[in-house]
Amino acid sequence: MKRLLVGVVLLFASAELFAQQNTPPLQREETPPAGPHQINTPPLPPPPEEGAPPLKPTATVPPVAPIVVAAPKQPNGRIQKSLVRITSTEVEPDYRAPWNTGAIGRGVGAGFVIDGPRIMTNAHVVSNTRYLTVEREGDPNKYPARVVFVAHDCDLALITVDSPEFFKNMVPLGFGGIPELESTVSAYGYPIGGERMSVTTGIVSRIDFQLYTHSSIDSHLAIQISAQINPGNSGGPVMQNAKVVGVAFQGYSGDIAQGVAYMIPTPVIRRFLTDIKDNHYDKYVDLGLTYSKLQNPAQRRYLGLPDDGRGVIVDTVIEAGPAGKVLKQGDVLLSIDDHAIASDAFVELEGERVEMPEVVERKFKGDKVKFEILRDRKPMTLRIELDTVWPYQMQAHHYDTRPRYVVYGGLIFQPLSLDLLDAYQTADPRVRHYFDYFIVEQIYLQHPDVIVLTNILPDPTNTYLAAYRSSIVDEVNGKKIATLNDLAQAFAETPDRFVIKMIGQGPPLVLDRREVEAARERIRTRYNVIAEQNLEEQPVAAQATAASGTVPHS
Amino acid sequence: MSTKVPACLFVFIVLGSTATIWAKKESTTKAVQPQQLSLLRVNVTGQGYDYFRPWQKRAPFSKRALGAVLSQGRVLVTADLVANQNYVELERAESGEKMAASVEVVDYEANLALLQPQDKKFLDGLAPLELANDTVVGDRVAALQLEQTGALVVTDGLVTAVQVMRYPVEVGEFLTYRLSIALQYRDNSYTVPLVKNNKLAGLLLRYDPRSQLMDAIPAPIIAHFLKDAVKPNYGGFPTVGFDYFPTRDPQLRKYAGETGNGGGVYVRGIEPGSAVEKAGLQEGDILTAVGNFDVDQNGNYVDPIYKKLDLTNLLTTRAYVGDKVPLKIHRQGKPMQLDVTMEHRAPDEYIISPYSRDEAPKYYILGGLIFQELSRQYLREWGPNWLKDAPQRFVYLDHFQWELFPEGHRRVVILSQILPVNGTIGYEDFGYLTVTKVNGKDIHSLDDLAEAVKHPVDGFDRIETEEDPKVIPLDAPQAQADEPTLRENYGIPTLQRLK
Repeated sequence: MKRLLVGVVLLFASAELFAQQNTPPLQREETPPAGPHQINTPPLPPPPEEGAPPLKPTATVPPVAPIVVAAPKQPNGRIQKSLVRITSTEVEPDYRAPWNTGAIGRGVGAGFVIDGPRIMTNAHVVSNTRYLTVEREGDPNKYPARVVFVAHDCDLALITVDSPEFFKNMVPLGFGGIPELESTVSAYGYPIGGERMSVTTGIVSRIDFQLYTHSSIDSHLAIQISAQINPGNSGGPVMQNAKVVGVAFQGYSGDIAQGVAYMIPTPVIRRFLTDIKDNHYDKYVDLGLTYSKLQNPAQRRYLGLPDDGRGVIVDTVIEAGPAGKVLKQGDVLLSIDDHAIASDAFVELEGERVEMPEVVERKFKGDKVKFEILRDRKPMTLRIELDTVWPYQMQAHHYDTRPRYVVYGGLIFQPLSLDLLDAYQTADPRVRHYFDYFIVEQIYLQHPDVIVLTNILPDPTNTYLAAYRSSIVDEVNGKKIATLNDLAQAFAETPDRFVIKMIGQGPPLVLDRREVEAARERIRTRYNVIAEQNLEEQPVAAQATAASGTVPHS
Repeated sequence: MSTKVPACLFVFIVLGSTATIWAKKESTTKAVQPQQLSLLRVNVTGQGYDYFRPWQKRAPFSKRALGAVLSQGRVLVTADLVANQNYVELERAESGEKMAASVEVVDYEANLALLQPQDKKFLDGLAPLELANDTVVGDRVAALQLEQTGALVVTDGLVTAVQVMRYPVEVGEFLTYRLSIALQYRDNSYTVPLVKNNKLAGLLLRYDPRSQLMDAIPAPIIAHFLKDAVKPNYGGFPTVGFDYFPTRDPQLRKYAGETGNGGGVYVRGIEPGSAVEKAGLQEGDILTAVGNFDVDQNGNYVDPIYKKLDLTNLLTTRAYVGDKVPLKIHRQGKPMQLDVTMEHRAPDEYIISPYSRDEAPKYYILGGLIFQELSRQYLREWGPNWLKDAPQRFVYLDHFQWELFPEGHRRVVILSQILPVNGTIGYEDFGYLTVTKVNGKDIHSLDDLAEAVKHPVDGFDRIETEEDPKVIPLDAPQAQADEPTLRENYGIPTLQRLK
């Protein structure tokens, strides 16, 4: 499963977002660490449109309307009755000062009314949102809205407006299937922040698995279209024959290609809508394994396989995943749910050849898959109960949560994650290795949290400790530190000193507890450290009610 | 390697203004008397090895440089100049007369080499340079270059700092002069000699035209090199073999049992097999003195000539291979002395060799699979940003080689890439893999691999890798049958080189 896209642009945001110089979008100026497989490419916001003010209909459309006689009928109906313009004020978590609110920005995306009545849009349109309004065509009011469900792993969200007025006269859209290659589709939205609906058309260019850059680790089916779509189209419907056939969500412009646009197809949308039927989004499930194709004739003979073009071989089984206790390295997977697996890892599903993970993609948490396998040349039938694989989350972007950290004696300890790497642009080879190989080398078994001393708030008690920056904590006073909680607990004890052993060679970092205690208040005040720790990755909204007394935020 | 290396090691001198600054400063005229020419041109052609296609050399390069004439018919140049050379010739600047020369001694770590013309008479009339060993911060020195005509170009520079720094091959750290100097472009960017009072004070190491700062190999390093160079087997500069950590932090001092406010650094990262390891130095020892010189909490000592310098200078420059250097340490607060007999670690005595010059890379091609020993030279093929651009697993292995392989005495064999032939169908995308076993045998060198593939199991060569796909079976007869195809289609003269 490759993750190859470079610089894919999420089609959200508008001139407004960039008009605010004090709120630069995350990682715009910093280049992501260019690893060999580009796995940590963040969803880069589009370049700022210098001097491109939001389009004002009065200024750009002279009163020529009466001249238009018998305007051609919109082939998909009056989409204005279904389309909404979403404005989100969002707060980007600040991983360098994790106790702070973070940068506040505003962006515009699109959404459309579906039954319920609810509004569908992209997850990235409403991620990290603190205040959400929607507008509809022909209505001067802005309606406050709220997020009902958000699925960051497939970049979809449902929002709603509590005002009963809003949905009056709005027409819910229905969903179609996968449009045929070369068939025409139309995309609707508010590109570059315009206030009136924009329509572009194009054809279906390709139907393929793609990396969804919002999370940056999830790959699902996506449809490439030739319709021009731009930032502000995000969350807008792509229509054919008056049915929604996709949600515009990301594009690519770069060295290799330009103006490539993608939409989320209806199988992914329907899966999301099915998943939330029980009022809870369970996320995509996975097997938690890597495999290789079996196209080499010698390899097939070596494994005792006939020359029938069937089977793939299991390379690595992630212990924390559903396949962990069931499959083994070297197992040959012959069929999945009675669909024969071809040696190039494709299966035939409803008359289409799709990649094997597509079978798992369509399932839900708790569902089972049946594998027929060969283990040491013996046939076996195994069942795996599907679930999420938590270690993957370390390499994904996180939203709607507050960064986890512990500050002690001015030393900032944070668990390693994609967002953390992006914020610090760490070049330390050990930290990078622990990030890259967290899953495949099962580093998470010993270090569910890889705790990095990311930064030091200078104080007389820590002024000689700069050389320990970017070290990974191994032990405190002889006790292994596996999680951030372990670290917080260790610091809550009352020994004379803390001897913090780091991974690798070198002296431990030694702290005199009384000195640190004496310095604590001083450091808190000097650096305005509002809270010294946040151990749980709890949703921001929940925190607002549960912990507003101790952890203030916007 | 080849023409790429100079580009990254040297910032080439930008074409300067034609206005010379010479004779502007009084000291410049003192620094050199132009009638006493001690320079000649050195022309080098060479070919580097291509580590991505290890069976071949790159296209030839040619370099033009200067050489400093020393006594006994020797010519001093930087080692970079003659790296991977095929042919070296000397050229008299004033007459254009040329003569082939040989490389007598070369040290890539200290970046110095000695050349000798076929006939020493070729140097008649050139005044041999002596060494000016006494340069200190604040001194003026002159950089010597040659015009096309053979006339001398003299540029005045100021020594602004003397410090211990990394040299181009990044093995060890050595004494360096830093100069503020407005060097002009001439067609010889290598080996620009620096003179002080008509004596050789240093050689150009690198130059940054924007800041007009030059780093120079100083006379003490040259003297060290020349002293060793007369020995029958040149032994190189001593290798430090450990790393250290400052003990400024009072909590760390207390933890390490240091009661007073004295000096000393925390020893870490001891290289297996190094001289200090043999002498008994341990991780966590507090090194308080090297020889007669006390070491402060930051790892500096007070040098009689240069004042504060990194302690590395005591081990690499002041000491010679074979010297006994007493190290004073505190172990858990107890003072001890360890006598280290200094040694040089040759590049092939590392697990992942730090550099390679004049030597063809080893490789073994089995049925289209190219196996190599991981080396930094290979990683450098990714260009100046190799730390970021090269396969990260390999960069990690290189960076932590002593920590990851404390047993020492081994190599890391990699499956670098696959040349598609019939036997590799379906394997085309594999590459940059670390080989652990072949046919059940542990692989700790390319020789191990060559031996292991002699014994296929049931007609298969079973290659095991650290990374996915974990196991790559090859049909042994098919791998042999593909050999002619490999030779013909990919133009590979020999499918293996183990020496």
